[in-house]
Amino acid sequence: MRLSIRHVTHYHYAEPALRSAQLLRLTPADDPYQTVRHWQLDLPAAATSGIDGYGNRYHLMMLEGTHDTIRLLASGEVETQERTPCALPGVLDIRVFLRHTALTAASAAITELAHACAGKGTLLEQLGRKVLEAMPYTPGATQVHTPADQALALGAGVCQDHTQVFITACRILGLPARYVSGYLLNENEEHAASHAWAEVWLDHAWHGFDVSNARAPDAHHLKLACGLDYLDACPVRGVRLGGGQEVHTTRADVQLIEN
Amino acid sequence: MHALTLPEPGHHDEMLLSSGAVRSHYQHFANWLQAQPPEMLARKREEANQLFHRVGITFAVYGDDSGAERLIPFDTIPRVIPAAEWRQLEAGLAQRVRALNAFLDDIYHDHQIIKAGRIPAEQVFANAQYQPLMQGISLPDGIWAHITGVDLIRHADGSYYVLEDNLRVPSGVSYMLENRKMMMRLFPELFARHAIAPVDHYPTLLLATLRQASRQENPTVVVLTPGQHNSAYFEHAFLAQQMGVELVEGRDLFVRDDHVYMRTTAGHKRIDVIYRRIDDAFLDPLAFRPDSMLGVPGLMHAYRQGNVVLTNAIGTGVADDKSIYPYVPEMIRFYLGEEPILHNVETFQCRNPSELDHVLANLDKLVVKEVHGAGGYGMLVGPAASRAEIEDFRARLLATPANYIAQPTLCLSSCPTFVESGIAPRHIDLRPFVLSSGRETTMVAGGLTRVALKEGSLVVNSSQGGGTKDTWVLED
Repeated sequence: MRLSIRHVTHYHYAEPALRSAQLLRLTPADDPYQTVRHWQLDLPAAATSGIDGYGNRYHLMMLEGTHDTIRLLASGEVETQERTPCALPGVLDIRVFLRHTALTAASAAITELAHACAGKGTLLEQLGRKVLEAMPYTPGATQVHTPADQALALGAGVCQDHTQVFITACRILGLPARYVSGYLLNENEEHAASHAWAEVWLDHAWHGFDVSNARAPDAHHLKLACGLDYLDACPVRGVRLGGGQEVHTTRADVQLIEN
Repeated sequence: MHALTLPEPGHHDEMLLSSGAVRSHYQHFANWLQAQPPEMLARKREEANQLFHRVGITFAVYGDDSGAERLIPFDTIPRVIPAAEWRQLEAGLAQRVRALNAFLDDIYHDHQIIKAGRIPAEQVFANAQYQPLMQGISLPDGIWAHITGVDLIRHADGSYYVLEDNLRVPSGVSYMLENRKMMMRLFPELFARHAIAPVDHYPTLLLATLRQASRQENPTVVVLTPGQHNSAYFEHAFLAQQMGVELVEGRDLFVRDDHVYMRTTAGHKRIDVIYRRIDDAFLDPLAFRPDSMLGVPGLMHAYRQGNVVLTNAIGTGVADDKSIYPYVPEMIRFYLGEEPILHNVETFQCRNPSELDHVLANLDKLVVKEVHGAGGYGMLVGPAASRAEIEDFRARLLATPANYIAQPTLCLSSCPTFVESGIAPRHIDLRPFVLSSGRETTMVAGGLTRVALKEGSLVVNSSQGGGTKDTWVLED
């Protein structure tokens, strides 16, 4: 599929911020399932770039003068293929992905959920179903920094929460699992186009699973970054000095150019 | 006359032979001591207390929310190490630290020791201290731990054992320096009678090590502190002042165009080496804990680009983790092709079911420690514990066995120490500070001797009632 992406992130501060710093993981890389045809970032200041320990591309942008808005635009076109299990382990030893983090800490409830899988389908399908039953898709119920166990206790969440509970459960079962951020071409428009899903190392390959949509990722999915949790992989991470209250909006449009 | 008494049987005393006779390297000191009237020594101790208060060398107790600062008690009877014994220790410490640096460089690059099957991969990579963001970063000369504090004890058999390696932000060196200054001030005549190796050049050696850590010709070095509320702030300020470099907080630094700069009254100055006394998690809110106000946004990027050196490097904690400790002798054999000079303490890893069984059956005899614990917290000393404490630990071990290791209860050596009733043997340990650069692995002769002031206690941590002593390494 050929997809066109337009992703706008907008911050508005109630008071002027004195300076701010943004770490952007807004640039997809070529892999066996996606080929970037063209891509560009429109940013309010010059940014430097690098590749982090997970192999993610990032940009670092510093705004040094007083400002009360920041607008970040990422756009481009990417050719996607059907995703199949990927036998390339990546730059890190896969056992790194057995680790729990602050956002994906093991808890009694997640352990119970991990061990309760039974029924039809693969392990990932069963686990995904359990997660979705326990916490139906509910925008606004959680925050970006809500840890997996809290989201599960709330019984609600978005793709970020589904993915974090899911990978925590996988790690409890001894399966290396990672958090993936990216975009989704959505035909029913129920979920945001900015998306997250999981990858689990099973039988010597990374198997993707999109928990919120209860299926394996496919050519509708475009990958941006991966890591141990949301914080490692999220598209935009920022800090600022001053600024007061913040209004943050993000909108990602993904369109099908041709099949 | 001062009565010198032996410790309980089964402990090595630094000054006395088991016959009660004075060891030859303590003979001069013991003669001097016996000639001093008790009132004079009491007056000197009081003088030392007042001077330390004036210098401001205090510490805040970890886990004590009152924020009260305390003075670490200083004992005026030194710990004395003969020259030949120190040479052996020095060789062993340098060997150990070289192997630990080689291990760190390996596990963030090619993983050879793991491929060779000498350390289980999961122990390293699934360890919370392994820092994925450091994978593939090449550091100048492959040095990760520029400053290492190694905790040693002397066992009943008279040999030194390494208790733990501190490769993150080891502290305590300011006490080594201040204790020496204090002893020289109180008892100058002792230094005329003994040939004692100096320690006062430590800041010069440290600065040389920090400068060599950079690839720059004439690097700018700073000390980065979390601020004056940190328990070791005194030491941060002290070392910066002694080295003649700036003491900065995170807000004094910023990243621009892949480099780190310091704000100064005269504009911006580029920084090449940051001797950071802030834990990894707080260094950069864009890479680690997002709520950290102590770090520098973008620092990880400048570091990754090779434009600034952090001492110590990020991610060194994986090598001093208690679950990795049992493998240090294997690292020495693997990387250096040498046999370890210093002993490791026998360690049971509760993650292994057979070792867990052994530990559970011997809780009253063993010391059980949390793998990620520090400062003597989260620890069970079996022989000194109540039934209830032992049962509490049994439950914890069964719940999360991988979080614990266990070791035999060590018989820390003792050293005569001033206590209320006079002079009595008290248990001690030793923390020398090893400096590593591409050129050499070196240290000043000595270290920080900590003493457990409570009778029979084996816990020397200052936060739990420990004191310090001057450490004398004798010269031939």
